[in-house]
Amino acid sequence: MACGSTKLWNGEATWFCCGNSWGPCATTGGGACGTCRSSALHAAWPNASKACWDITRPDLCGEDIPRRGCGSEMKVRHDCSGASVCVTVTDCGPRTRSFCSESTCCDGVCRTNRVIDLTPAAFSAIGSLSTGTLPVSIFE
Amino acid sequence: MSAYRTGDTLARRRFLTAAALRGATVIGTGALSASALSTGVLGTRVAGATGTTGVIGATALGAVDADAAFAAPIRPLDPAVAESAFAEGRIAAINGDVLEVAGSYGDHSRVRITGATSVWKGRATTAADIETGDGLYARGLPLPDGTLATDAVWVNIVNLHATIRGIERTRLHLAHGQHEIIGNLMAERTSAAYGDASPTADLSRLTIGQSAQVLGAWRPSDGSVDLVRVAVAPGAGRRR
Repeated sequence: MACGSTKLWNGEATWFCCGNSWGPCATTGGGACGTCRSSALHAAWPNASKACWDITRPDLCGEDIPRRGCGSEMKVRHDCSGASVCVTVTDCGPRTRSFCSESTCCDGVCRTNRVIDLTPAAFSAIGSLSTGTLPVSIFE
Repeated sequence: MSAYRTGDTLARRRFLTAAALRGATVIGTGALSASALSTGVLGTRVAGATGTTGVIGATALGAVDADAAFAAPIRPLDPAVAESAFAEGRIAAINGDVLEVAGSYGDHSRVRITGATSVWKGRATTAADIETGDGLYARGLPLPDGTLATDAVWVNIVNLHATIRGIERTRLHLAHGQHEIIGNLMAERTSAAYGDASPTADLSRLTIGQSAQVLGAWRPSDGSVDLVRVAVAPGAGRRR
């Protein structure tokens, strides 16, 4: 799937670190696909594989997120600023089930449940790392 | 450094470019006063205590709060410059307003702090708080001299999924993967987010065993994390 304009999902985006890094991130490794890097436009998807799904279980939060495996491309758009970034799936995450019903809002727009994890490079392209979460729409 | 495309207004780029050309901020000196941050002068030229003149808050053209300044992604003004860029790594040296950054893959970046750069290090702050040895994520635009003119840098920021293993008056014990991390609770700075509610200073609903997303600032000196926000699932720890 490419970085297109067909709506795929919406929800909260969070960020995480992967690959070689510093501080507590130094031990995170290359992720489920083995290629994840914090400095690249990468993402973790909760249904990157069956094994991944068993960990993240977005269905427990009412999110039947479709399977998109390693290498899938998506466009992630900040629902308020309209800023967008194209990312490649290189890991499994976020752990949606641990934060069921959590929501993030901006300008009256709210998105519920964590549905995608972005690397610092990708997240900072559309928002501030210090916010932790963003309301987003995802396209392919 | 890596490059990416973003989509936003051109105004921020104009301001950043102008600020880079002015070279307004000097690292390590001229710290601007806290009162300047709290009295609405963000985005305007202000005089620092040492006479250094700088611009803080990153934008004179829109939002005046720090979060908004960090949040606004930039895009190149010059159509020939199609991409913005990102850099990460440890700060190996500070030369004037340029941070020499050793990337995590053996690469090297020269990160320029301009008068328009927003700096986060546990909170919105100034370049004077940046130290050698700090970790960094930086967003900006590449200049012809090979530096990255930044509009935002996040120093030592971490955002970790962890499990709360212990709670003390001044710190949390966190399990992150196979590692234990000490999370320092900071009076009047650490907040908790319980799902869809706004972050609160009330940490009493944090409990051992909870899954938590912790956002904070790593301390290179001892490996602990100064906790800014601890987010747990909605309803977690709610008393029935």
